[in-house]
Amino acid sequence: MNKGGRLLSFGGIVFGCFLFGFAWPDLQHGKLPNAHTVNALFGVRSGAAASPEQQFSHAYSKILTDYIQAVDPTNLKYAGMEGLMSSLGDPHTIFMPPRAAEAFNDETKANFGGIGARLGADALGAKISNVFDDSPAQTAGIRAGNIVTAVDGKSVTGKEIDDIVTMIKGKEGTLVRLTVIQNDKQRPVVLTVKRARIIAPTVDSKYIAASQVGYMSILSFSEPTAEQFDKELAKLEAHPLKGLVIDLRDNPGGLLDSAVDMLSRFFESKLVVKMKFRDGHEESAQTMPGFIHDFKYPIAVLMNEDSASAAEIFSGCLHDYGRAKLVGTHSYGKASVQNVFPLIDQSSAKITIAKYFLPFTPFFGRKVDQDGVFLSGGLEPDVKAELDPKSIIDPENPKTDNQLWQAIQVLNPTPSESTKH
Amino acid sequence: MLRRRMNDRISNMNDTTKSVYTSLGIVFSVGAICLGLKVRERTDIGGIQATTRVAGSSRMLASRSNDVNVPAADYFYELSQKLKEQYVEPVADDQKLATGAIRGMIASLGDPDSTFMDKDQFKAFLNARTGKYEGIGADLVLSTENHTTAPKTPGQPSAGEISPEEALVLVREIPRVQVVNVVPGGPADKAGVQVGDTVDSIDGHWVVQSDLIRKFRIASKKFNEKKMSRADLEALRTEIRIKFERAIFPMKAKDKLFMGKAGDVNVVWNRNGTMRKTKITKGVSSLSGFTVKNDTVMLPFQEGSAAQLKSAIQGKSSVTIDLRHNTLGDIQSMKQCLEVIAPKGEYGYFVTNRHDTPTPLNVLKGNSNPPKIHVLTDKSTRGMAEAFALALDSKGLIPHDKFLLGGDRTNRQIVQLPDGSGYTLVTSEYQAKLAKSTKSMTARKGGVK
Repeated sequence: MNKGGRLLSFGGIVFGCFLFGFAWPDLQHGKLPNAHTVNALFGVRSGAAASPEQQFSHAYSKILTDYIQAVDPTNLKYAGMEGLMSSLGDPHTIFMPPRAAEAFNDETKANFGGIGARLGADALGAKISNVFDDSPAQTAGIRAGNIVTAVDGKSVTGKEIDDIVTMIKGKEGTLVRLTVIQNDKQRPVVLTVKRARIIAPTVDSKYIAASQVGYMSILSFSEPTAEQFDKELAKLEAHPLKGLVIDLRDNPGGLLDSAVDMLSRFFESKLVVKMKFRDGHEESAQTMPGFIHDFKYPIAVLMNEDSASAAEIFSGCLHDYGRAKLVGTHSYGKASVQNVFPLIDQSSAKITIAKYFLPFTPFFGRKVDQDGVFLSGGLEPDVKAELDPKSIIDPENPKTDNQLWQAIQVLNPTPSESTKH
Repeated sequence: MLRRRMNDRISNMNDTTKSVYTSLGIVFSVGAICLGLKVRERTDIGGIQATTRVAGSSRMLASRSNDVNVPAADYFYELSQKLKEQYVEPVADDQKLATGAIRGMIASLGDPDSTFMDKDQFKAFLNARTGKYEGIGADLVLSTENHTTAPKTPGQPSAGEISPEEALVLVREIPRVQVVNVVPGGPADKAGVQVGDTVDSIDGHWVVQSDLIRKFRIASKKFNEKKMSRADLEALRTEIRIKFERAIFPMKAKDKLFMGKAGDVNVVWNRNGTMRKTKITKGVSSLSGFTVKNDTVMLPFQEGSAAQLKSAIQGKSSVTIDLRHNTLGDIQSMKQCLEVIAPKGEYGYFVTNRHDTPTPLNVLKGNSNPPKIHVLTDKSTRGMAEAFALALDSKGLIPHDKFLLGGDRTNRQIVQLPDGSGYTLVTSEYQAKLAKSTKSMTARKGGVK
């Protein structure tokens, strides 16, 4: 080989190496560079549109370098990922950056201690809506209606309720100082509460004597719910009953097994829900034999847009098998199963992997637009009743709660009421 | 030196030289690979240096290490793949994912002037830039100005002092939908809508405003201090609940007014606290574009304006430039017009909040014999039109009377995506004189969703 030939082949090898380096990012993904990329190499503004990945990279870099003020690259990246996943219009397929992913873990593990009370939003902080029996909160003297204005000396006025709850929760056995406004006292008091493991009661009942109707509120579906349901039902059935209202408003769901257990009180060996996966395979759940209960009276289920998941399966099945009338507004529309995929940087991707179907109701999964605004989905009530903004939810006084009042009318129509409209 | 020694040895090939060649070859090859990677990176992201791409497929998943910074492009790729593999329905549309991701990034800026627009919104926006309007025939912005106090003088951002009283009631600012330009003769104009009006409700849907939430916080505080009755507080709470039942967000409200060529909208406007009800029929309307009437030139900053301006001022000793109804001007056109009418020199700066060097607004050749210039401005003189007026003023080229301006000097880049959607990105703000500290510049306010 002469000198020129050697040089040429050497140059060829070097150029080949350059091409290899250039194409490497695509080769990693098992493809060749597209026309746009190759054209860009030679400085040609190609007619071929930039690939979606390139468009994303371009926008990402543009915002980092050209936006009027500095932007944190990591947060920007996460915002992009959130947008990517929400573009499918499924509110349950979401990207969770490291911090949110952590909170989700805590929630599912639920190994945090609390004070044993339920909190609601209030302009001054958080309002105690319910204190569990024998809970640390009760021992410390906290009562329903009290308002928490500070936690460990830090004011919580104006904070989001979720943030306040996070501040109150902590390691089991540790102490938390709550500044509380109590109705009977002039000044706020500071109460010290020892956090403990809380098993929240999920079922509550009340006999409404005036209408002879039983009222049962189910807050969520967890392990002891079916058992608690039986106990409360027995209490109600000690009275003459013309009907039963099961209140599932704001019930976010919980365990599917718990809903199946409960439904087994109503019908035996029947389909509850069918799950359909991406690859076409199906799984289903059925009620068990041997738990049937004889309900001798009509049943109405109260629901709203915050009734979701297991609560929808429960109410949907009662509706599908003709065992209950649904009253209220459309439910949330959680009709899918998600899997959480952890990612390398402690963030994670929650992706809907299956849909579930009720025995007869068509698919009721929630659809939202890009801003997360509800478009469609959820179970439709048999009797529609929007909550009057002036309502006070109080089973002692059912007339102050127009949805509950409507449910009672559905069960127990008296001529004077049914001719009202 | 080294080179010469090598040349010496070429004629005298032995094992040593061979190994030297081999190692050189390896060095060059590796160098070429690295160069290839580098060049690729730059072509991919439009000439901007970024972190080297490292992650291969699936490497992002199933690892336990902390603090790994996965480059954004890899993240995008991996997540798209994951969705395609796992999502319950087939995901075929990569474009949708990219558009969604870009939308998410723009939204995270929380900047009412940097916005993502879908295909139809973007089309309406581009048309408006050429003076062709639909909807009610008005420019609307999401404004985070505090509407409860007197409007601030343009260019004089208020000091960021917050009293303890205000701190208590500090609610995340939700921008108001505000009219900044009304197309003369258009539907909004006919209905008596004026620049500065804000939208209170559309077709009975209340447009979410933070003022009401703030009002409630103040009321709660008063109640707490026993200066307000429980009944009054409850009444206010009920009012808020009812309004939120049928509320729409400012972005949606803006679209409802800015888009559509037919149909009626019932709009309640807020003009300095007074509510005005209007019924407006949407339709097409347009701004007059470049026109010359007597010695007055209507000068929109769009393609071709500079050339038209040049011929319009030919041989004239004085000219009046009408910068009213001028809100969406193009920066290139504005610079060219300045070149046509102003003498050589430095006309202020485009500055950012990034501690970088301000970019001067330079007139390179300029007009050595400029005519006497007057400008007509009002609150609908915004963006590049406002910068143009301030630039002329900075050199004393226009009579230094008080002139009204819209109070927006931001320069925005406009980017269109292949699927027809697009976004604006605020990149800088015009300043006639450099402020001593960039801190005095208007901080971009957040709160859009």
